[in-house]
Amino acid sequence: MPNIAVFIEQRGGRFKKVAWQMLSEAKRITGAAGGEVWAVCLGADPSAEAARYGADKVFTAADDAFTDYNSELWGAALANFCTATKPDLLLLGSTAMGKDLGPTVAAKLDCACISDAVGLTFADGWTVRRPIFAGKCYIDVEPQTPLAVVGIRPNAFVLAENPGAGTAETFDAGVAGLDPGAKVTRSEASAGGKVELTEAEIIVSGGRGIKGPENYQLIEKLADALGAAAGASRAIVDAGWVEYSHQVGQTGKTVAPNLYIACGISGAIQHLAGMSSSKCIVAVNKDANAPIFKVADYGVVADLFQVLPALTEEVIRIRS
Amino acid sequence: MKIAVCVKQVPDSETRINLPAPAAELDQSGFTRILNPYDAYAVEEAVRIKEAGEGVEVTAVTVGPATVKETLKKDCLAVGCDKAVIIDDPALKGADEAAVATVLAAALKRDAYDLVLFGIKAIDDDSGQIGILVAQKLGLPHVSTITRLELGDGKLTAHREIEGGKEVVEASLPAVLTCQKGLNEPRLPSLPNIMKAGAKPMETVTCADLGIEVPAAKVKIKQYAPPPARGACKLVEADDPAAAARELARLLNEEAKVI
Ligand SMILES: Cc1cc2nc3c(=O)[nH]c(=O)nc-3n(C[C@H](O)[C@H](O)[C@H](O)COP(=O)(O)OP(=O)(O)OC[C@H]3O[C@@H](n4cnc5c(N)ncnc54)[C@H](O)[C@@H]3O)c2cc1C
Ligand SMILES: Nc1ncnc2c1ncn2[C@@H]1O[C@H](COP(=O)(O)O)[C@@H](O)[C@H]1O
Repeated sequence: MPNIAVFIEQRGGRFKKVAWQMLSEAKRITGAAGGEVWAVCLGADPSAEAARYGADKVFTAADDAFTDYNSELWGAALANFCTATKPDLLLLGSTAMGKDLGPTVAAKLDCACISDAVGLTFADGWTVRRPIFAGKCYIDVEPQTPLAVVGIRPNAFVLAENPGAGTAETFDAGVAGLDPGAKVTRSEASAGGKVELTEAEIIVSGGRGIKGPENYQLIEKLADALGAAAGASRAIVDAGWVEYSHQVGQTGKTVAPNLYIACGISGAIQHLAGMSSSKCIVAVNKDANAPIFKVADYGVVADLFQVLPALTEEVIRIRS
Repeated sequence: MKIAVCVKQVPDSETRINLPAPAAELDQSGFTRILNPYDAYAVEEAVRIKEAGEGVEVTAVTVGPATVKETLKKDCLAVGCDKAVIIDDPALKGADEAAVATVLAAALKRDAYDLVLFGIKAIDDDSGQIGILVAQKLGLPHVSTITRLELGDGKLTAHREIEGGKEVVEASLPAVLTCQKGLNEPRLPSLPNIMKAGAKPMETVTCADLGIEVPAAKVKIKQYAPPPARGACKLVEADDPAAAARELARLLNEEAKVI
């Protein structure tokens, strides 16, 4: 019977949504196969939310060491946790923190490490599905060690509430006396405090079709109306119209929102690489032959300068 | 100061994968190969450190077959790396991330570097693990996903990208860094430099030369599968763009139920 440990990421006491998605999926698996779901959190107590999504046990280590993120300390803490409790899988979200922490923990435990998974199956062992070649191909892999560390792509799993009374335990992270060679000295939020791309449920992206940086506000207005994040093609990032943190694609962010609206984006293979696993894709482009329409679910062949203001207005009307 | 840059040769980002049905193998023989785009940021950063300082030597290190030599020459040696080390061993065919990291760690240990640079991820396997695995194997601090680097005396300060902001991290040297877009703008090699690069040293070693056995894979690939198929695109028809916008909003609300 598999026991699945789920890392509940927090920064400044705020939990990442992908944690609840992972708990939901882990619960689906243990619901069929038996075993338990364990939520593990460093530096905060996620008990209330974790119980809502079905964690059987919640383990917290509330050491002062976990106020700020530190690969070495957090990695050692999770490795110590796994050594003591021996889960079959340790799941972490594929976030900035999870991508840093996963390989750190796996190396300490000398175990299999699988990045950015979108599917987990348990039947005489684990099969993990993940995209490679920027989503142009998928692989099914089997860990060869008793414990595997698996990164989970945000939005790959559907949230499901499974209220139960999980037991809460604290554990000794065993990091006292460690002196890491790298330390975060400062963290800064970028201006705006807008919705973050990789976590967003809706993304509105603009490409070279917006003609100039002054028109990116058309994208942002629609995004605001939808409560969405604003994305961009590399063409307009390289042109300096928007910051790199907005870039979607093979050399930008990989996203899988419920709704992705591509405006004035041709749909180059490298752009599709970052967004083609979105659940619903909309393309607004004046060229009916643009490759973006090959992956789109809905298409509008028209001038985005005429479509976007009307669309924003209509969205505001529907949502009010 | 000795800097190593770990680089991988990968299929071009235009590569189309022709896989109509799930299969045990993926034929990658016809692919055009380039330097992994993220590794270009690592190479550029190393070369800039060399140009800014004195007595800095930059070595490109790769695990791969002899066909990587062209990429090493053009995209590493011709843009300023001083030499290259290739770990080429038939037993490494099908090696997973952990195995490649073990081999790289052995090569890096042999030559003792002050700074080791990686790309954040290889655009073929999309793993984003190897730099961090190597740091752990070498017992060195690492900073991942860096977009800015300042070297000080025996230490460094790097900016790392996180959701909605950045972290500023200080680390002692030697250290491992993984490089992200934004760090710099990689230069292109000039033709004369490509010609001259042919004279720079390139060493090829096997695992036995490094005194290690090829490590067993910790992850086995069971099958390759095509991506899930997408349905046909529904074109929104209307008399004018504003009407099309309203109809689109209706469809997204009532049919797709996504807004
Ligand atoms: C190694 C490598 C990595 C790359 N990584 C990425 C990546 O991560 N992300 C990425 O996006 N790209 C990436 N690219 C670049 C990619 O190949 C394309 O060049 C880029 O995506 C094009 O951006 P675009 O669609 O905005 O511009 P274009 O291809 O120029 O398309 C603009 C589109 O706007 C439409 N348009 C114009 N005016 C209007 C209007 N008024 N109304 C409606 N539509 C209009 C046009 O019909 C056209 O389809 C990469 C390339 C390489 C070589
Ligand atoms: N075969 C290899 N040889 C040398 N460096 C590699 C190799 N594979 C990956 N790397 C380095 O590790 C980084 C991350 O790769 P990956 O973990 O495979 O996505 C790459 O950007 C390279 O810097």
